[in-house]
Amino acid sequence: MDASGAPGMALGRPVGAAEDGSLMPSGYASPAQDWFEDRIDLNRHLIRDITSTYIVRVSGHAMDGAGISDGDELIVDRALRPRDGSVVIAVLDGELVLRRIRIASSGVALVAASADHPPIPVPDPGPW
Amino acid sequence: MSEHGSSIALVDVNNFYVSAERAFDPSLEDRPLVVLSNNDGCVITRSPEAKALGITMGTPWFRIAGQASGWGLQVRSSNYELYGDLSARVMELLGRHTGNLEIYSIDEAFLTLSGPLDAQRRTGTEIRATVRRNVGLPVCVGIAPTKTLAKLANRWAKGNPEFDGVCHWGLVPEANRRSLLRRLAASDVWGVGTKNAQRLAAMGIDSAWDLAAADPVAIRKRFSVVLMRTVLELQGTPCIAGRESTGNEQVLYSRSFGTPVATRAAMHQALSVYAQGAASRLARKHLQGRVLTAFAATSPFSAGRTSSPTICVPLPAHTADPLELLRAADTLLPLIEEGVPYIRAGVIVTDLRPAGTQDTLLPADGPAFKDTGPLLQDVGRRFGRSAIGLGHAGLRSGSDWTMKRDMLSPHYTTKWSELPVVKAR
Repeated sequence: MDASGAPGMALGRPVGAAEDGSLMPSGYASPAQDWFEDRIDLNRHLIRDITSTYIVRVSGHAMDGAGISDGDELIVDRALRPRDGSVVIAVLDGELVLRRIRIASSGVALVAASADHPPIPVPDPGPW
Repeated sequence: MSEHGSSIALVDVNNFYVSAERAFDPSLEDRPLVVLSNNDGCVITRSPEAKALGITMGTPWFRIAGQASGWGLQVRSSNYELYGDLSARVMELLGRHTGNLEIYSIDEAFLTLSGPLDAQRRTGTEIRATVRRNVGLPVCVGIAPTKTLAKLANRWAKGNPEFDGVCHWGLVPEANRRSLLRRLAASDVWGVGTKNAQRLAAMGIDSAWDLAAADPVAIRKRFSVVLMRTVLELQGTPCIAGRESTGNEQVLYSRSFGTPVATRAAMHQALSVYAQGAASRLARKHLQGRVLTAFAATSPFSAGRTSSPTICVPLPAHTADPLELLRAADTLLPLIEEGVPYIRAGVIVTDLRPAGTQDTLLPADGPAFKDTGPLLQDVGRRFGRSAIGLGHAGLRSGSDWTMKRDMLSPHYTTKWSELPVVKAR
């Protein structure tokens, strides 16, 4: 995640590479130097606000139908407001539970993406 | 009091360690929970339910361990990795609401707020909601003209549900303020302490109200300039400046840069000066610290990119070693954005204790070793250099094995192998 420690990089500046790809000590400036930006930083692309972002691990198959499998890691932004159809983490009986939220005039329910798991009605919804 | 003005807000996390544990383990909600100090020694944070059981701060764990399961008491070791990360998130959020953030400890900070008083209170309410939503922690906010009054306002915000977590001193009716001050013991005012309180009581000064009505000059003559400042602050005159503050809760070394610092290399230089400064302050006060916070900030008035990174990391053990402090402070560097002009940075060391305190391995009057040097060398050669040392020195480096943490929760936010698990079952 931190590119500054990668081989060939010193505080974001390239030191140049030989034609066979091996690293050379810095001696002459790389012709690409002026065009160097920064390597792609996934943190920048995937995380909107670091203060509200947590990573969690999934246990179970209830969300298989939504492409979320057992053992997957998820990037969760607590600051987002859930809308009808959002995948959410809810607190249910002292556990963190992953489901899709359904918000209708008849009430709020947590719905699995798998036929084996019945919807869970939520009388008093609160966020994680 | 005018309707406008510069105020000071004290924001702190309610029962921080307990709230941090609950944020990732909701089964702890509404149950009695205590967090223990280093080496699982004694109770340092209690949930309201644990307070209701009559458990007091500082109770040695061994004294209540037998009753814990009968009470349904939940217990956790100090998870400094978790608390440090959550603290840094809170401080970064607070920095977005003010141009002047003074991190006071791992879970509290003073902020300067300006503008109309009701707008200041709205900012307080927004801070409370944002920290709750983003980080998952409950905070209370006290806003007042001085730090001492902000502390009081914060306390009232905590104790009285009608404030809804945010108390603006300037918006509390005069009669209510008077009765609040009369009900508060002088010893409970920030910076007074029990020793001063006894002497004050002999002069007929029992409540915060009495202290606020005292003559500052007389207080300076009979006590100290420090207590005089407390009186002035209670009267609404700010006179406790940044960072010097009271007592030994923290050691801070911070500075604004003459010219902005815009590279990681230069920031490393600055942090190394600050880490050494903090180390020598600790040494002068004969203290060692266990937790280090480092921060940097761009100008809040900058038109360009703003950034206010903060890190808070546990140190391997209580230490005043400049190299240990610098190693910890340097973990701020990856968060420094190259090319962004930072105008200030600092290092704060908290969780302090006197430098002589050691978890000794041998009784002080134990056998006197001769030939200690060769013995140490021999053991070091056979078992590695961190296996033995004199006093605490040999145990300082290396990992956490010096600290007993038998009831530790996962490092939810700092270790990939210990992420919180969400149920899809």
